[in-house]
Amino acid sequence: MTTTASDPSTVPTAEPIIEAQGLVKRYGGHVAVNGLDLTVYTGEIFGILGPNGAGKTTTLEMIEGLRAPDAGTIRVAGLDPATQGDAVRRLIGVQLQSTSLFDLLTIAELVELFAGLYGADDSPERVAALIAMVGLTEKRRARVDQLSGGQRQRVAIALALVNQPRIVFLDEPTTGLDPVARRALWATVHSIRDEGATVVLTTHYMEEADVLCDRVAVMDHGQIVACDTPAALVRSLRADATIRARLSGPLPMAELAALPSAIALDCGGDERCADLRLQTTDAQTTLIGLLALATRESVALAGLTTAQATLEDVFLHYTGRAYEVGEPAAERNERRGRRRRGIN
Amino acid sequence: MRSFWAMVRANVKMSSRNRGALFWNLAFPALFIVVFGAIFGRGAITTFHVGIAEPASEFGEAAAREMEANPAFMVSRGPAEEELARLRGGERDIVLTFPVAEADGRPAATLYYDMARGPSEAMAVGVVRQTLNELAGGEPAAAIEEEPVDAQDITFMDAFLPGIVAMNLMNAGIIGLSTAFVNYREKGILRRIRVTPFPLTSFIFAQALSQLLVVAAQSIILVALAKLLFGFHLRGDPLAIALTVAVGGLTFLAIGFAISGVARNAEAAASYANLIAFPMLFLSGIFFSMDAAPGWLQPITRALPLPYLVDALRDLMTRGAGLTAVWTDLLVLLVVFAVAMTIAIRFFRWDASGAD
Repeated sequence: MTTTASDPSTVPTAEPIIEAQGLVKRYGGHVAVNGLDLTVYTGEIFGILGPNGAGKTTTLEMIEGLRAPDAGTIRVAGLDPATQGDAVRRLIGVQLQSTSLFDLLTIAELVELFAGLYGADDSPERVAALIAMVGLTEKRRARVDQLSGGQRQRVAIALALVNQPRIVFLDEPTTGLDPVARRALWATVHSIRDEGATVVLTTHYMEEADVLCDRVAVMDHGQIVACDTPAALVRSLRADATIRARLSGPLPMAELAALPSAIALDCGGDERCADLRLQTTDAQTTLIGLLALATRESVALAGLTTAQATLEDVFLHYTGRAYEVGEPAAERNERRGRRRRGIN
Repeated sequence: MRSFWAMVRANVKMSSRNRGALFWNLAFPALFIVVFGAIFGRGAITTFHVGIAEPASEFGEAAAREMEANPAFMVSRGPAEEELARLRGGERDIVLTFPVAEADGRPAATLYYDMARGPSEAMAVGVVRQTLNELAGGEPAAAIEEEPVDAQDITFMDAFLPGIVAMNLMNAGIIGLSTAFVNYREKGILRRIRVTPFPLTSFIFAQALSQLLVVAAQSIILVALAKLLFGFHLRGDPLAIALTVAVGGLTFLAIGFAISGVARNAEAAASYANLIAFPMLFLSGIFFSMDAAPGWLQPITRALPLPYLVDALRDLMTRGAGLTAVWTDLLVLLVVFAVAMTIAIRFFRWDASGAD
């Protein structure tokens, strides 16, 4: 697999704050993270994009010091999370994936408690400012068990900010949120960065990585397959556009792949290629060839579209398959738990 | 230290808002107090039926006269054989024999009693011994370590309530803490705490201290209830009682903590907790004396921690004894605490999946 070299010139200050090399993490026979290298620069919003099970959360938790890597080295602001965990924990703020909180406390009490746990400023003014930052001022006296999923997620982010961290880790901060709540959260993430923190987040939403992140690491099967700014990643494909169509009958694969200017072909694992996806460096010449081929084979093309290349095409290009989010880890664990208890 | 108290404050706040648990933790023991109190009444259990074997020594005659003058005793006389048969038959609480020959000039007495009739029997023995000692001019007629208790004052509730307080301490630790901790682990709250600089030991001790504060407050409410409804008399040194409550509370919190480490999930933790708590509840002499239990059961009873706490609290609260009377009980509890803590730390897990 190829790894695109990062382009530090696109980052405001090209000073690394997180450096990971050769990270490996195994769970029994399963390799969750497989020789991963990663550099995050000060002041950027760095996204780790990939389907569920790609190893995003495990990577993040190794950097946070929650899990010990089986191999490799990690430096967070020059510190090793494995041996200098306490110093690292004081520098970072963490929102864990689907953490629930103490249900019986109000938002204000919870923020005050966590500020207390860090020995940070827990004055009413500071607590109010943190709650305002995530847009929950009106709800500050509401108990956590009365909040919606999106509001809880925002509380979790406020808790990640109590110690004025230099680095903020957000693990799938917008999963399960409606589009409006998601956009509100993006604004919060931007304001965190504007206050001077570096943000590292995971997501499985292509659009989120594209809009929110300065740089994106595309992750699959425990490895980073590409890492750069979203624009540079798309540019690196040399693809002008993606042509999509539904075919009424089979077309010879070899001839499809050999169409002029075509650089990648995806049939979604279907031999008949009913759902065609074709990346091209020149949409016009490829289209002419495709139409000629379809006419010759008497195959109708339904829903023919051409679109600008996106991060989805980047994923397709580097992994050889179309992007699918897959099953969330939480549900996977739930199912495993039920099996273990013999319920099912 | 500031972070520690922030955690304790939050824990106590959460406990006070957990209305369901709060209600049941109080309602369950309160129900026992009301039901048992109503059955056995608020009257004194002081009509101890004492049998005095004839012939009796001079000292024996004096003792008989003394007890006949005291409304707490109902005195019968008869041949030793007959009186002992009546004791076995349940018609006497205590039988005394007074050997006529007083070889060394020291008054002698042998005290027969039957522990099978519950906590009141121990009270009777204490009172009779005390009466004899006073008669003998302070010289012990039998080895006695109890402090004086006025027989007329001991009610059923006085002997019953310390057991209920002990039961409450056990439930808070074994059932309360284990389910709370497993819940925190399954919900990912422990992992969230782990990415803060707040140390694990502080989190655990904050948890233990808050539970202890809550259960102490509950105990005070239960004592007040018993006093109000059934005229409970609290004896003994408040500091000694507080210390014993703290040691007992910590012991059972440690057991609850060990259960939460060993159990894989909330359901398993609840089953383990009940499996340990329930037999202990009935083998600890709270509701009936274990002296009547068959011999094979005795070693099991002695291996359980709850009976030691019940005994210690009864010695302090009912008989008004001092710490010197209960230090062996406290020692046993501390040993159990140490063992449970070792298991708890050995099996501690941060998250439910079991991966480091």
